[in-house]
Amino acid sequence: MESSKNYFDNWLKSQERAFETLTEMTQKFQQSLQGFGGSGGGMQGFGGFQDLYTSWTTSVLNALQKGGNADIPLVKELLGKTLTGSNAYLKLYEMWTLFFKTMQESGAGPDFYKNMSDPAKYKEILDRIFGFDPTSAFKITEQASKLFETLAGSSHGFTKTWMDASDKTLKSFPPMMEGHPEEFMKIFHTLFSAFDSTAGRAFHVPAVGKDREKIKLILRSLDDLSVYLARKTEYEHLMYVTGAGAFEKVIATVADKASRGEEGKRFDEFFDLWIDVNENTFYALFQTEDFSKKQGALLDASVNVRQHFFKLMELYLYDFPIVVRSEMDDLYKTVYDLKRKMRNLEKQLGEVHA
Amino acid sequence: MKSTADKFDLQNFIHDLGEVNRKLIKGTETLAGIDEIDVGTAPKELVYEEDKLKLYHYKQEGGVTCKTPVLIVYALVNRQYMLDIQPDRSIIRNLLQHGMDLYIIDWGYPTKSDMYLTLDDYISGYLDNCVDVIRKRIAQEKINLMGICQGGTFCGIYSALYPEKVKNLVTLVAPFDFSTNDGLLFSWSRHMNVDALVDTYRVIPGDFLNSGFLMLMPYTLNIRKYVDMLDVVEDKEKLLNFLRMEKWIFDSPGQAGECFRQFLKDCYQDNKLAKGELKLGDRVVNLKNITMPLLNIYASADHLVPPAASKPLNDLVGSEDKTLYEFKGGHIGVFVGSKSQKELAPTISKWLHERTGDQAIKKSLETKAISAKAKNKGERRADGKNSRETTKH
Repeated sequence: MESSKNYFDNWLKSQERAFETLTEMTQKFQQSLQGFGGSGGGMQGFGGFQDLYTSWTTSVLNALQKGGNADIPLVKELLGKTLTGSNAYLKLYEMWTLFFKTMQESGAGPDFYKNMSDPAKYKEILDRIFGFDPTSAFKITEQASKLFETLAGSSHGFTKTWMDASDKTLKSFPPMMEGHPEEFMKIFHTLFSAFDSTAGRAFHVPAVGKDREKIKLILRSLDDLSVYLARKTEYEHLMYVTGAGAFEKVIATVADKASRGEEGKRFDEFFDLWIDVNENTFYALFQTEDFSKKQGALLDASVNVRQHFFKLMELYLYDFPIVVRSEMDDLYKTVYDLKRKMRNLEKQLGEVHA
Repeated sequence: MKSTADKFDLQNFIHDLGEVNRKLIKGTETLAGIDEIDVGTAPKELVYEEDKLKLYHYKQEGGVTCKTPVLIVYALVNRQYMLDIQPDRSIIRNLLQHGMDLYIIDWGYPTKSDMYLTLDDYISGYLDNCVDVIRKRIAQEKINLMGICQGGTFCGIYSALYPEKVKNLVTLVAPFDFSTNDGLLFSWSRHMNVDALVDTYRVIPGDFLNSGFLMLMPYTLNIRKYVDMLDVVEDKEKLLNFLRMEKWIFDSPGQAGECFRQFLKDCYQDNKLAKGELKLGDRVVNLKNITMPLLNIYASADHLVPPAASKPLNDLVGSEDKTLYEFKGGHIGVFVGSKSQKELAPTISKWLHERTGDQAIKKSLETKAISAKAKNKGERRADGKNSRETTKH
């Protein structure tokens, strides 16, 4: 226990240091942009226009989604996607104008511009494109905590202790930082072992049939969840790093053009360049076996969580007067076999008549 | 020191953003005027139903000149109305105008009760039953099969198992050799735990497959497409066409688990079809049993079914009369591109007419084809592109 505590403390400290660095970098970044587009610093001026614009488009599209002909689901979906698309467009626009303004006011070279990228803002764009929900890990653990608590019927809060610790870990973990997913998984396993060897012992004592099975499945599900979250972090980290690399390429290209005196008159040119560079960079990543393996591992982990969750639900619902999934599966199989048999007999009959 | 970047024009950027804003306003007005997104409007009648499957027969108003009907078999993924997505971009209408007698299978939307359906059920069950229904209706031994994408693979397997029922086989952008690394779907699927996926879901959700397709070009399909859409948003007809396409893309039926399991494991992961090791029920599928004439169409820029997966079919079959046809375009362009409307339907029609044995019709079509070819040649020269290249083996 002691060694795992030290390990956890060290890990937490390293994350704190990383966070401090990020905060410092962001502050410097903001300071360098003071006065941009008008008085007051920060994103006043252009930023103000953009905020107004974003709020306008959001409200118009939301209003249309709620009323009008939005009863056609496809129109509704399209509006949502357009909103997502134009929001990403705007986020990129915000970043671009910052670069552009700095270029106007400074003679710094490409490295300067590359270092100016705001990871948080860029992460938002990537989240929109790949559909990542940055809060999902928290939501999952929170929901799982409540669910497992309920299913276990544990008035003593055994699982809660464990989940609280996990939740705390997650909240202090900035997923797009250095990204050591294996370490992340180790922490879960360490916590799991700690739980299992302390409070978890209570569950190992009586051989209480279905209840024991239920408890085992809960523990297994928690472990599956930790593996899934680790894989998810690993996968998302890979995407963020690739996206950030692509953005550096874009900025380097723009800065290089600027240094050669080539004009970049329109934002759409930048947008096209950004799309093309990203698409090519990600395509190169997607082609690697490493990516395929990581994606496969993530899928496998997510499926494991789901599978054990279904089993758990079934076990829990077994005592109620309802038909559970495996019973329906049996029924479907019987119907399928009968249909197949009937189809064959009909064919044989047809051949005899012919 | 002043950077040369001061040549950039902030006013232009504001103008760009303002323009997007204006288009969005206009777009909301246009969208408000769209009440229905109609697809698959070519007239047809239901002639057979089995479980969730429906077999339709298209109404032929101009007269049938190709005496052997064509059964069109689309993939289980996505819907068959892609072939009739809008009246002016419809391979179906085009083929009808060329005197073809067309049938099409609608596989329907599988639910959990379909989870045990196997590849054998789809091919030796449903597909075979549809073929028999048509054979009975026309009182002929054989019909023509035209399979698209995964439907093409199904038709290839079917033709190998039941060659006595197939007069001519046409495959469009269909995979047969899955050993290629050219397509991302092929390499991704190799590291997928298919058993765990099927055992968990039973029916693989269409959304799951769609997210995979979107990942092939995430920036183009999630961002650029919707930003570019703003360029056509003021034109109701163009916006409607965009919506039709959107409807098709996201109208993805789930996949019956057992069929998905075998298709992914035996084809994508183990390439058993090309190796001659694929088994359906107790029968081994030997593509050499395909001895009827074959027209194999692939798209040169297909990112879903790359040419390397389609082209080998011609070497795997036993047919003497086989044609490999390259379409210069992508997977979707085969069905809806304006070039494909001018090029593919006439090619397929001519190829099939030539093999129906009706010499008089053949001759009249050849005359028509020559004049159409001359017209197309002129058009191709005008845009500087040559869109066709055929290889006869």
